[in-house]
Amino acid sequence: MNNLAILPIILPILASVIVAFFPGKLNIVRPLSKIFMVVFLGVMLFITFKVYSDGMIVLQGGGWDAPFGISLVLDYLSIILVLTTYVIATAAVFYAPHSLSDQQEKFYFYTFFFLLISGVSGAFITGDLFNLFVFFEVLLMASYGLIVLGNGKAQLRESLKYVLINLFSSMLFVTTVAFIYSLVGTVNMAHIAERVDSIPAEDQGIVTVIGILLFFVFAVKAAIFPLYYWLPNSYVVPNPVVSALFGALLTKVGIYSIFRVFTLIFVHDTGVTHQLFIWLAMLTMIFGVIGALSTNNVKLIITYNIIPAIGFILMGIGLFNEDGLSGSIYYLMHDMVIKAALFLLIGALIVAAGTKDLSQMSGVIQRFPLLGWLFFIGSLVLAGIPPFSGFIGKLLLLRGALDQGEILLTVVALLSSLLILLSMIRIFIRGFWGEKMEGMTTNPSKVHALTIPATFLISISIYLGVGAETVLPYIDQISSYLLERTEYISSVLKG
Amino acid sequence: MVYAVFAPLIFAILIPFLSRIKQRIHTGWLILPVPLLIFIYFLQFVGANFETKMQSTTWIPTLNISLDFYLDGLSLLFALLISGIGTLVVLYSIYYLNKEEQLGHFYTYLYIFMASMLGVVLSDNVFVLYTFWEFTSLSSFLLIGYWHHREKSRYGALKSMLITVLGGFSLLGGLILLTIETGTTSIREMVAMTDVIINSEYFIAILIFLLLGAFTKSAQFPFHIWLPDAMEAPTPVSAYLHSATMVKAGIYLMARFSPIFNEVPLFFILLSIFGLVTLAWASYMAVRQTDLKGILAFSTISQLGMIMAMLGFGTTYGVFAAVFHILNHATFKGSLFMVAGIVDHETGTRDIRRLGGLMTFMPISATLAVFGTFSMAGVPLPFLNGFYSKEMFFQSSLGLEGSGTFVEGLITAIPIIAVVGSIFTFIYSMYLFFGTFRGGYKEDQLPTKPHEAPIMMLVPPAILVLGVIVIGLFPNIFNNALITHSADAIYGDTVTKDIKYWHGLDSRAFQMSLAVVVLGVVLYLTKDKWSKIYSVLPGSLSLNRVYDWIVEKIESVSNKITTSYMTGSLRLYMMLILTAIILMTAGTLLYSGGMNFNTVDLAPITAQEVIVAIVMAIAAIGTTVARNRIAAILILGVVGYGLAILFVMYSAPDLALTQLIVETVTVVLFLLCFYHLPNLSSEGQSVAKTGSNILVSIGYGLLMFVIGISAYNSRFAETISSYFMENTYEEGGGHNAVNVILVDFRGIDTLFEVAVLFGAALGIYAMIKLRSNKGAK
Repeated sequence: MNNLAILPIILPILASVIVAFFPGKLNIVRPLSKIFMVVFLGVMLFITFKVYSDGMIVLQGGGWDAPFGISLVLDYLSIILVLTTYVIATAAVFYAPHSLSDQQEKFYFYTFFFLLISGVSGAFITGDLFNLFVFFEVLLMASYGLIVLGNGKAQLRESLKYVLINLFSSMLFVTTVAFIYSLVGTVNMAHIAERVDSIPAEDQGIVTVIGILLFFVFAVKAAIFPLYYWLPNSYVVPNPVVSALFGALLTKVGIYSIFRVFTLIFVHDTGVTHQLFIWLAMLTMIFGVIGALSTNNVKLIITYNIIPAIGFILMGIGLFNEDGLSGSIYYLMHDMVIKAALFLLIGALIVAAGTKDLSQMSGVIQRFPLLGWLFFIGSLVLAGIPPFSGFIGKLLLLRGALDQGEILLTVVALLSSLLILLSMIRIFIRGFWGEKMEGMTTNPSKVHALTIPATFLISISIYLGVGAETVLPYIDQISSYLLERTEYISSVLKG
Repeated sequence: MVYAVFAPLIFAILIPFLSRIKQRIHTGWLILPVPLLIFIYFLQFVGANFETKMQSTTWIPTLNISLDFYLDGLSLLFALLISGIGTLVVLYSIYYLNKEEQLGHFYTYLYIFMASMLGVVLSDNVFVLYTFWEFTSLSSFLLIGYWHHREKSRYGALKSMLITVLGGFSLLGGLILLTIETGTTSIREMVAMTDVIINSEYFIAILIFLLLGAFTKSAQFPFHIWLPDAMEAPTPVSAYLHSATMVKAGIYLMARFSPIFNEVPLFFILLSIFGLVTLAWASYMAVRQTDLKGILAFSTISQLGMIMAMLGFGTTYGVFAAVFHILNHATFKGSLFMVAGIVDHETGTRDIRRLGGLMTFMPISATLAVFGTFSMAGVPLPFLNGFYSKEMFFQSSLGLEGSGTFVEGLITAIPIIAVVGSIFTFIYSMYLFFGTFRGGYKEDQLPTKPHEAPIMMLVPPAILVLGVIVIGLFPNIFNNALITHSADAIYGDTVTKDIKYWHGLDSRAFQMSLAVVVLGVVLYLTKDKWSKIYSVLPGSLSLNRVYDWIVEKIESVSNKITTSYMTGSLRLYMMLILTAIILMTAGTLLYSGGMNFNTVDLAPITAQEVIVAIVMAIAAIGTTVARNRIAAILILGVVGYGLAILFVMYSAPDLALTQLIVETVTVVLFLLCFYHLPNLSSEGQSVAKTGSNILVSIGYGLLMFVIGISAYNSRFAETISSYFMENTYEEGGGHNAVNVILVDFRGIDTLFEVAVLFGAALGIYAMIKLRSNKGAK
């Protein structure tokens, strides 16, 4: 059964190659991709079930035992994120045909799409630091392909910055891996963790420094203050379905990596590292939400809202207690779903209103009530209003924060939530309310088709809130498992 | 009880479907029985031998969140108000809103509100309470924005949402702190652990968080500014949410938690100061309003302040009076809002300057208004409930005890502020009635010809006025059955009070009442003479302006901040990123003592190595200053070839070969591309900018250098590479360890690097193809 661990990365790669053979034949590629995604989603559900019933699955690549080969690790955390990724991807694949032009679809959208899924899943499940770098390359290459899709001038301009900043971070990544190898002579994460544990406390200084360096590698990808400059514009220029995938998945891979290494490896000097995270989390929230309030471009508002969410997740890592970690994981999962949903909804709104500029919109809800109410609920979810999914994560995070007496952090988090709500409700009030505007779309059925996948995701968000009890015990299991650390290390290295 | 809370919610979901059949019947009729039945349900608990009741349903046990509904005297009073006034408001709205309106929306919001409000007052679990609390804010937002094509509705809706949700979030913070300190999510269990809470190191934070929640919701100064703008909502909503129920949620919260805070001086100080300031300021401001509903809004604010203050006094008398006034206020203010709605409906305006002399046209409404306004003013007549509560307020403001100069000063000031606030209450009450129904009739200023409202529209306010009179005549009628239980729940032990009409001439409270009436009459008659004072106070000092300024500034300042660094300049971004990395990493390096810089372990450096390194360094710098693309790329090639030479020196010939090939191909490819590109233009940067760029570059290089050396010097374990050397042939079946690592040991890396190439190739192909397609068109 160990071979199950390869499926999340190999299935989409195969799909990616298969659809590449029919670039021009949309009547084949579209249904094929949908079928693939639905089947894959089923497979992931099955694997998730297996992991939670029979324990984590570790595959030693090529039969070479850790630490010599590459370990793929489906633990409680990674499988849940893989599953979330597939849920979002399924919604996206049903959205894409209505959002992209035929030509964009023909130019290998589906190939890059599956490549992206593979890269993201790989980053979640790999147990090898260098292999993580490889999966970063995969997902970045796929994202380059997706970002230039359509070949607009703005897209090329923004993708250049995106590529260059990400290249810089990749370079730093390799350098840091080399430093780590120099310290402990291995790149398998469980093995690194084990070896770092045995370093005497007075020598941990250099480990902490390299940990911080690695943090910056991931922080660039996760869009943490002050490293997120590449994000807003490069997420705004592509098609909404691409933005949804980016917003939901890419930054989350970065924050997941921070999560992984700072709960597994660099846990010996939390007074420095994790305290730094708390400060950066606050700044990330503040600056992100300031960005969200600074513009009238509806898509940019959603894009900026990615940043404070990362702040929330980082906050839990910084707190490094059970509530904080549970909160972070819940928030991570919730934010993946809701960000995707909101990007999809904003795409529908832009089609409906025929403009991205909020100051030119009004009264859209009168023609598209479902879209309006979904957006309203989405805003509440994002701001963490109960009983939706955002609240559960936020509650846990705040509990973790207040448990350690972090009043300032709590106040910042609460105020950011309020401003997030303001940034979203501005769209609702100015765009959806008011007199019916001129120049709304003449093709309402397209808007309806775009609304359906978003409905699916919003329903999941509601479920993750109201039905939290069905999910939460598993999340708590993850956080105590992460704090324990030994299960991961021994499962990977047992061979 | 669970059904009582969720019934309106279920109907709220059904309403959009029910309203499809509105062609025949007004939706209101279809759903009117819901609140009525709830009212009857709760009515059965009223009685002298009332016992508390508890019902639980699990929801999220992992977080200790369960739907615990707990009915005690306080919840019962509120539940009756919510369902009772709810019934009247729905009835009233049937005539207020005609069938062409979007009734489905209206009733959906209204019923969401009703369910949430019932949830707030019945929940024992703090997080369930919080959930419902936010939903009252949200339904209020939707109801204020009901006529969202109006600019003012949207403005009012946003304002109310921002302020109440701000309070809601603050409340959440307080509740989480409470659960952490006490280890429970049940309010009753918290009350039992009062000592733990009061002695908690976060006590002040808890108190402030909770107060902020209560003050914003119950429109206490300076957060009251949302309530006047909430008057954009349809009048039934104003009567229901913004006077009788939702705005009392903050009061409820304070009452609910007062057994915990009662003995704390700070609680007394904050509640009485904010309550009294609200009372005085809002009643003063009410006199200035010209919109009927504006007057009523400020009046509501001031009355809420009064109740808040009485809760703050924390005496048995004060608490009892507070509960009594919650009931009374709901009756007279509810009826007055409905009358104001009738006036608006039948004359087409709510501007009191255009109204007057309506008595002759609308005698029934006028009669109802007399009772409402005079009761509100506290006119000493034995059939007005407002008088009793006003008396009790005065009574409770006297004889407070406390120690410390500040507290003693406050205690002296309380009765004075109480009287001042009440004088203005008296003035605006008179103004409201006489300005609308007496005086000259201004026919030319009214949009429509006034006439009496349909009889069914008058029924709901009439029922409330009946309540005013009944309580006025028999002030003790509900004492044993309801009010005492409520006060019990707040005060924590048995409170019994007998309300009397006549306390005797020497009663201080009566003297205060008398002073209010006399001064009130005098000031009302001379109002025109002194009303200039409003141009001095508040003058331009308006809290609304502060709010507008903040909201406006949030946007413009955000925009300024964001555009200041999001310039689109890659150079700036890299500069900021590198600076951040340098500062924080170097900081950590120094702080954590990770520096391990010495050259003892390093291999000896040969002259050849030095020469190659220097050439590479010069070439690297040269690339950045080259003015010509081709020159730049050629110089860059030197770096690559230098690296190849280093590989040769360190006996890695295969790497050197690879490096040579890569370098050559890259240079050739670059040259091909550059043929199509324009020449490099000089950036024309200032010296300072160039200087700081150089500084950051050097800093970053230095940092990497130091960390690299330190890492090299801090080897803590043997590398795993020996395993590969030993097993390459035996297990891997190859002679070249690098090859076996690439294709076998770490085959997954290679597989996915191939995938990267696959992606890159397709990406480039797609870009070129798409472009040539475009060109063809």
